[in-house]
Amino acid sequence: MSIRNVKGSARWWALAGCLVWFAFTLFPLYWVAITSFKSPTGVVGGPTYLPFVDFEPTLTAWQELFSGKRGEFYNTFVASSIVGVSASLLATGLGAMAAYALVRFTFRVQLASGLIFFAVALGGYLLGMHSLGLGRAQALIYAFVAALALSLASDRIKMPGPVLGNNDIVFWFVSQRMFPPIVAAFALFLMYTEVGRLGVRLVDSYVGLTLAYVAFSLPIVIWLMRDFFAALPVEVEEAAMVDNVPSWRIFFGIVLPMSKPGLIATFMITLAFVWNEFLFALFLTNSRWQTLPILVAGQNSQRGDEWWSISAAALIAIVPMMVMAALLSRLMRSGLLLGAIK
Amino acid sequence: MKRFLFASTALAAVSFAGAAAACDPDYSGVTITAASQTGPYIASALQIAGSEWEKKTCGKVQVVEFPWSELYPKIVTALTSGEDTFDVITFAPAWSPDFTAFLAEMPATMREGKDWEDIAPVYRDRLMVWNGQTLSMTMDGDVHTYTYRIDLFEDPKEQEAFKAKYGYDLAIPKTWKEYLDIAEFFQRPDQGVWGNAEAFRRGGQQFWFFFSHAASYTNHPDMPGSMFFDPDTMDAQVNNAGWVRGLEEYIKASTLAPPNALNFSFGEVNAAMAGGQAAESIGWGDTGVIAADPKQSKISGNVGSAMLPGSNEIWNYKTGQWDKYDEIVYSPFMAFGGWQAAVPASSKKQEAAWNYIEFLTSPEVSGQAAITGGTGVNPYRASHTENLELWSKLFSEREAKEYLGAQADSVNAKNVALDMRLPGYFSYTEVLEIELSKALAGQVTPQQALDTVAAEWNRLTDEFGRDAQLAAYRASMGLPAK
Amino acid sequence: MTRHDPIKYVFIWPALIVVLAISIFPLIYSLTTSFMSFRLVPPTPPRFVGLDNYWSLLQNERFWQVTRTTSLIAFVSVALQYAIGFAVALALNARVPGERLFRVGFLLPMLVAPVAVALIARQIFNPTMGPLNEFMATLGFPNLPFLTQTSWALGAIITVEVWQWTPFVILMLLAGLQTLPDDVYEAAALENASPWQQFWGITFPMMMPISAAVVFIRLIESYKIIDTVFVMTGGGPGISTETLTLFAYQEGFKKFNLGYTSALSFLFLIVITIIGLVYLAILKPYIARAR
Repeated sequence: MSIRNVKGSARWWALAGCLVWFAFTLFPLYWVAITSFKSPTGVVGGPTYLPFVDFEPTLTAWQELFSGKRGEFYNTFVASSIVGVSASLLATGLGAMAAYALVRFTFRVQLASGLIFFAVALGGYLLGMHSLGLGRAQALIYAFVAALALSLASDRIKMPGPVLGNNDIVFWFVSQRMFPPIVAAFALFLMYTEVGRLGVRLVDSYVGLTLAYVAFSLPIVIWLMRDFFAALPVEVEEAAMVDNVPSWRIFFGIVLPMSKPGLIATFMITLAFVWNEFLFALFLTNSRWQTLPILVAGQNSQRGDEWWSISAAALIAIVPMMVMAALLSRLMRSGLLLGAIK
Repeated sequence: MKRFLFASTALAAVSFAGAAAACDPDYSGVTITAASQTGPYIASALQIAGSEWEKKTCGKVQVVEFPWSELYPKIVTALTSGEDTFDVITFAPAWSPDFTAFLAEMPATMREGKDWEDIAPVYRDRLMVWNGQTLSMTMDGDVHTYTYRIDLFEDPKEQEAFKAKYGYDLAIPKTWKEYLDIAEFFQRPDQGVWGNAEAFRRGGQQFWFFFSHAASYTNHPDMPGSMFFDPDTMDAQVNNAGWVRGLEEYIKASTLAPPNALNFSFGEVNAAMAGGQAAESIGWGDTGVIAADPKQSKISGNVGSAMLPGSNEIWNYKTGQWDKYDEIVYSPFMAFGGWQAAVPASSKKQEAAWNYIEFLTSPEVSGQAAITGGTGVNPYRASHTENLELWSKLFSEREAKEYLGAQADSVNAKNVALDMRLPGYFSYTEVLEIELSKALAGQVTPQQALDTVAAEWNRLTDEFGRDAQLAAYRASMGLPAK
Repeated sequence: MTRHDPIKYVFIWPALIVVLAISIFPLIYSLTTSFMSFRLVPPTPPRFVGLDNYWSLLQNERFWQVTRTTSLIAFVSVALQYAIGFAVALALNARVPGERLFRVGFLLPMLVAPVAVALIARQIFNPTMGPLNEFMATLGFPNLPFLTQTSWALGAIITVEVWQWTPFVILMLLAGLQTLPDDVYEAAALENASPWQQFWGITFPMMMPISAAVVFIRLIESYKIIDTVFVMTGGGPGISTETLTLFAYQEGFKKFNLGYTSALSFLFLIVITIIGLVYLAILKPYIARAR
């Protein structure tokens, strides 16, 4: 008997365990679903479990939600969908490419160059702001370009200090997620406002929000895809290289299809993160691109927790995700490793 | 022929009058962006008034909604960035000291006339004013009142048992001691009834309920503005004997409430009353409205209201003694103060914005809003509380009389107590919330908790600048500058 | 394998530029403000104070308490997520009956917005309106102080975290299990190795890289927990359930004490980086072996 295909009593234990976990997982969701159909008296009197038996279901919460009394429903839904899907696609695409590069190629960057980048960016920004009297955004842009140029140039000459390799670059990417989002959200808002003064509208815009989401999702994609790519058998690619297939065709034609389960899983996770992200959405949007989490959080009002509305709003936010999960998990099943491409 | 001429002239006259009446004043092409908390409360009032205003002036109103706890940071970041993101902002009066530097003053034309006089003085002359300038317009009234179960209080068996146990009649409590006695009497967990319901959770509006308890002992009628700080030195008063007594009673009330009361926010207070679990409660007017609505409550028809209990002893901070009075002194507490609407100075459409605000808060529009459930607008104009008929759609006659009476009496009371408004408000309330929740959990004694709060408040005052804070405090309490 | 193909730059630079451009300003801004005493309200002009913010934070008992609480919640909930998640992933991979239904159902909690999860949890834990109390009362434990006493509240928060994030672990581990090669298992079956031996000898070591990656991500994300705590307990009683991000939120968005909050953010970053480096260093040999 293999652990991958249990039989006999072990099978039933596994099933029992899964059922318990299933009940635990699904009960709160069931609760939310029925609460969204309850009237206020059905909630405040005590817990009720079965529609028509314990309480009279009503559509009030849903009507209020759709009518826009509790926040602009349709706009936020559309905004969430557009931003969520596009940001996740972009992040998964760019991130997979970067992860592949970090697994199959060698990168060498001198720590000193990285420090130079940071120092020049910081110094240039302060210089621009305080001595040259530039606007914040201008100072930042000049400093950024100068820092990039200088650090790339300095990488060519040998400097003292350690040389960073692929793992360090990956760690740097992931460290972007370690930074607590509070000050980052405010700083990003400031930056967007300043750039807005230069004429490019970033606050409450599609580009601004999606860009921020892509930037903060890339670390996760890279971190997760790196291990999927590393787990792929190298021989397949080496065989293709022998045939002089260019690297980009190897990537798109061979590697991506082989890593489908990982790609799809990562896409789902990124989409879930972006769909449910709250802090950046709060600060970087106002009316035009407000997303669903803000609507849901708004149901937690100052004057009362109307459980029925909260439940309806939460359900609306989750239904598209459920559909996506169902669709994508079917794709995952069929993307099993075709280890026999040899 | 004559008839045709007559009809067409009449038609022309009517359409001419109609055309002249449209767009008055003319704001076509102007879109006002108004920031508010997520609906329906306040936001729906803005939207309803907005669509009426649009018909009148051909302008447009767009209401942008944010979650309640994120409204403050959103407004601050918008104001300090100097962008004209919002033309109208609605906010809690406690935040106004932090905003005043960025707001545009109310046009002088709005500050006179019948409509202006109709606003209750405590709002008009105290809450909306800062440093001599009227910077915002009240669009909602807020005061803490007392709610009780008429059926429980008027049940002869209950009345008998109560009199036997406590020696006086079961009635609307005049003092907090009576309030606690009643709570104790009705604390019957096995029957699913508990004494009272108040907010006790950190972050759940708890400190306003604490303030309501303490106001009766600390808001001295002869020394206005001395409730929170010494109005001469800005020393924190929050740990004096009056406050300690208020805290002790607040903690006692938490033991005579449904289980998990320590996690109650105001929402759960409403739910407890409406679900029939509490015999009495204190809080904002929403409790009465929600509990009387048969669609939302199990006790509709039995909702009684009154002013908050008072006291016949008030702490005199100058002499360090309790001053005793023959008559009960009521100090209803203007908890939260009532949503304000204002226009940021960075807005490019100030005239239109103030016009919209004037329309929103006019007696007719706001009167409708006050009786429309879900707008969150509580009475603040004299005209709101005088018209009983409006309210009878929601309440029974007796409920309406008591409810409106409680609101009006509280707002017009001689010793009404104003809420705290200071720059850096959240810093002051954060330590208060933390220490309150510790005291409620029994981790520290009331005196220790309040001593910690006082020490931190004094430190904050020094950090922000004692003179500036003193001037701000005096302004907020309606005292003349020193 | 190392290759030197110039196309590697095309692969990596887009991601690099995007991340650099968006993250550099927040980093610069936070760094500069962390050395200043800077409050947005009441409006005070920024003053350079050097390391004062950092010192006062390190001496602030609240900072250490909050770090301890957050670490406790993070480690316990991630450990539970990993153990349960791996077990479930194994069961799904072993084609337990009903697998297809389970597969979709198990994913759902992860897809709900954290703020919604917290609101739902608060409903369920409510003694008068929620089902949990009724359920516990029938077992003989009425009115447990789920959200009002520190240890119970921490347990409630951890439970909610486990509920919400185990799907993440399941998803990633399942994808990993599906990419394991068949031949090793066939060889083991030929040698009559029991499932238990197969697990410890083959599955677990081969899954090491992915396990390490998943646990790492879960750990750093857990350190940022805020919605659950904010909605369920507000950080109370006192500050006993307050987490780092909630502390930063109060300081940064309620008091707008930006200098202090920036210093806090950096200390936060240092704490997590240290934990991350230690974690990776410990696991390095195991991962290398698996590769």
